[in-house]
Amino acid sequence: MLNNIYNIFFIPEIFLACSSFVCLLFGLFLKKNAFRQTSNLAVFVLLLTILLVYYDSESNFANYKSLFSHSSFINFFKILALLGSIASIIISKDYFLGIKLKNFEIPVLFLFSTLGMMLMIASNNLMSMYLAIELQSLSLYVAAAIKRDSISSAESGVKYFILGALSSGILLYGFSLIYGFTGSMNFNEISFYLSKYDNLNLGLIFGLVFVMVGLAFKVSAVPFHMWTPDVYEGAPNSITGFFAIVPKIAAVALIYRFCLVPFENFYLEWSQIILFLSIASMFLGAIAAIAQSNIKRLLAYSSIGHIGYILIALVAANDDGIKAASIYMFSYMIMNVAIFAILLSLKVKNEYLINISDLKGLSKSNPIVSLSISIIMLSMAGIPPFIGFFGKFYVFIAAIEQELYVLSVLGVLASVISAFYYLRIIKIMYFDEGKSEGIINFQISFQSKIILFLSLFLIICFIFYPSLLINISASLTI
Amino acid sequence: MIALEHYLFLGAIIFTLGVLGIFLNKKNLIIILMSIELILLSVNINFIAFSAYINDISGQIFAMLTLTVAAAEAAIGLAILVVFFRNLGSIEVNKINQLKG
Amino acid sequence: MVLYSLTFYLFSSVAVLSALMVISAKNPVHSVLFLILSFVNASGLFVLLGAEFLAMILVVVYVGAVAVLFLFVVMMLDINFVKLREGFLQYLPFGALLGIVLVIELGILFLTDRSSNIYNNQTPLQPIVNEVENTKMIGQILYTEYFYLFQICGIILLVAMIGSITLTLRDKGGVKRQNIDSQNTVDASTAIEKKKVKIGEGI
Repeated sequence: MLNNIYNIFFIPEIFLACSSFVCLLFGLFLKKNAFRQTSNLAVFVLLLTILLVYYDSESNFANYKSLFSHSSFINFFKILALLGSIASIIISKDYFLGIKLKNFEIPVLFLFSTLGMMLMIASNNLMSMYLAIELQSLSLYVAAAIKRDSISSAESGVKYFILGALSSGILLYGFSLIYGFTGSMNFNEISFYLSKYDNLNLGLIFGLVFVMVGLAFKVSAVPFHMWTPDVYEGAPNSITGFFAIVPKIAAVALIYRFCLVPFENFYLEWSQIILFLSIASMFLGAIAAIAQSNIKRLLAYSSIGHIGYILIALVAANDDGIKAASIYMFSYMIMNVAIFAILLSLKVKNEYLINISDLKGLSKSNPIVSLSISIIMLSMAGIPPFIGFFGKFYVFIAAIEQELYVLSVLGVLASVISAFYYLRIIKIMYFDEGKSEGIINFQISFQSKIILFLSLFLIICFIFYPSLLINISASLTI
Repeated sequence: MIALEHYLFLGAIIFTLGVLGIFLNKKNLIIILMSIELILLSVNINFIAFSAYINDISGQIFAMLTLTVAAAEAAIGLAILVVFFRNLGSIEVNKINQLKG
Repeated sequence: MVLYSLTFYLFSSVAVLSALMVISAKNPVHSVLFLILSFVNASGLFVLLGAEFLAMILVVVYVGAVAVLFLFVVMMLDINFVKLREGFLQYLPFGALLGIVLVIELGILFLTDRSSNIYNNQTPLQPIVNEVENTKMIGQILYTEYFYLFQICGIILLVAMIGSITLTLRDKGGVKRQNIDSQNTVDASTAIEKKKVKIGEGI
């Protein structure tokens, strides 16, 4: 019995929750260097949580299981979210110190939102799903507005909060309809109840549509993407990095689980919505990014486009789709970590880099940095030897296997259009005239250098040993 | 006798008013926060009506959790509003125009 | 039973009207007061549905805490109310149209959809009659089956607290604080100072 009580602390979520409290108190009582120390502790805590997830120490908790589920797919995405969160805390540390934003609450908020994401990925019940989404987004609303003397940060906070709260409200209304018309909140029970019927009744269709709208807000799929570019632009760069890298992973896992577990038998109903979201996101992401001059807005549209490709794999809805989504999410995380690690260390005239045109002539002053940016951009565009190519490749394979030819042709088309703006950045760095000597300088801390090096290594060398990730992702069950 | 539909209809009306409150209001952020509260209230009416109708207590639990979250959301919303007000000296929605592209 | 229906219509119509006033009142203070009215009526409806505990919580938490928080912020921020009302009407026709469409759609959904099975057993809607009262029932399930959710709620409230403190607390210089250590170590030698005052002069 006693043994059982201690075992409960080895459930990754409970461990993370308890250690977040410890981090909070730790930061509160430190007099000096509170931000730096708390960040280090947060990274350490997240590493331990990864170990706990990896060794799967949450198997025997019956009570826990009715609210939260447990499968290889869930564990994969949890580890992905944790890795992303570790990387973004490490790469953003120097940036925060550079702009004198030294609140120790920031890593604590990141920890709580990571906890929310883990719960989101694992949730198996409408209630736990709602609470997890709220825990994650409430921490992020605060993070967006954290630079409180800056107008743009406050504004991005307001925008993110209003649209996020509205989307949660819509999501919740959908939940109430689903609950009312099936009489249950548990995903498996809903699925069991629905398996008795051939088609959904009107109430459930409305509920499904409302929930899809809410989830589309969370993954920022077109036409519910309006907040993304503004929030990315307004928030401090390092917070933008966190937004770009981590919450997307959890939201994508959630939308997959929500479509494939309770509504697995009603593919036709939800696949139409996802199909539309997917095509619209790919094209808007590709076309709107062309006109951007701010690199954060460009990355926002690029992430909208990436979400479009991931949703293709959801429309395919087979095992290959799940495999493609996990590979794509992995590559998405790695590429974003790499690009933000560079962006958070590039300074133009002592200001952190924002405008794309400031990259002019970077190839002459910092050849290695510009080479790395080019590699990341080529990988994001999906050019063959790099990791981004594999994500897109498996997505299209999954789509073709499900005979979604039109969708895959549209996907390839959108990816050709999007290659244009990725290549434009390379052109600006290598061929545009401009002085960058002495204006641009690149300062990076040792830890971020390791992260950057690792992610670049994965981007370049993934082709030599792809079977490692592919085998893992092929064995995932939802 | 009051049928379930009446309660659901009431919920739908309040939900719509809440959504309209967000979209119609171009001047005042506080009204927007209150509209969000209205949306959550309509959801609660739905949950409790369904819970009474299908005789299942978990709908009421969900309504209670929603109340908690709504309180947290109001607190954070108002904090962000205060930050916004300190920066711009106003809470007009029209002033949210620094970020465009 | 007539009384039951009458109560329902009274509460629901007041709730809807005050919700309408929330989004259209000229003065935000009035909006907050209408929000309170709307919530009080909704809690009346909850009593009709047999959810007494939630009805009570709604009044205590909403009217007692959240609405007062709103009032506090409305009054703390120095806002020019007259200016804030301009331009409301220009979006009204379009908004009203959208709203009517949405309500009609949802209404059709609820009023016509009798094919689904939950409407087939037309038991009238009555308070859940059980041996256990509502509050006890909620307690029994909340602290057992949904214990983890209860804990997550606690974490959410903690995040709300951390967030609002981080965003709004400003360190101002020159604030006098109590220093308990130094107060406890005070003795006669540090607290009292002897001065020799000459006759006929002040200090």
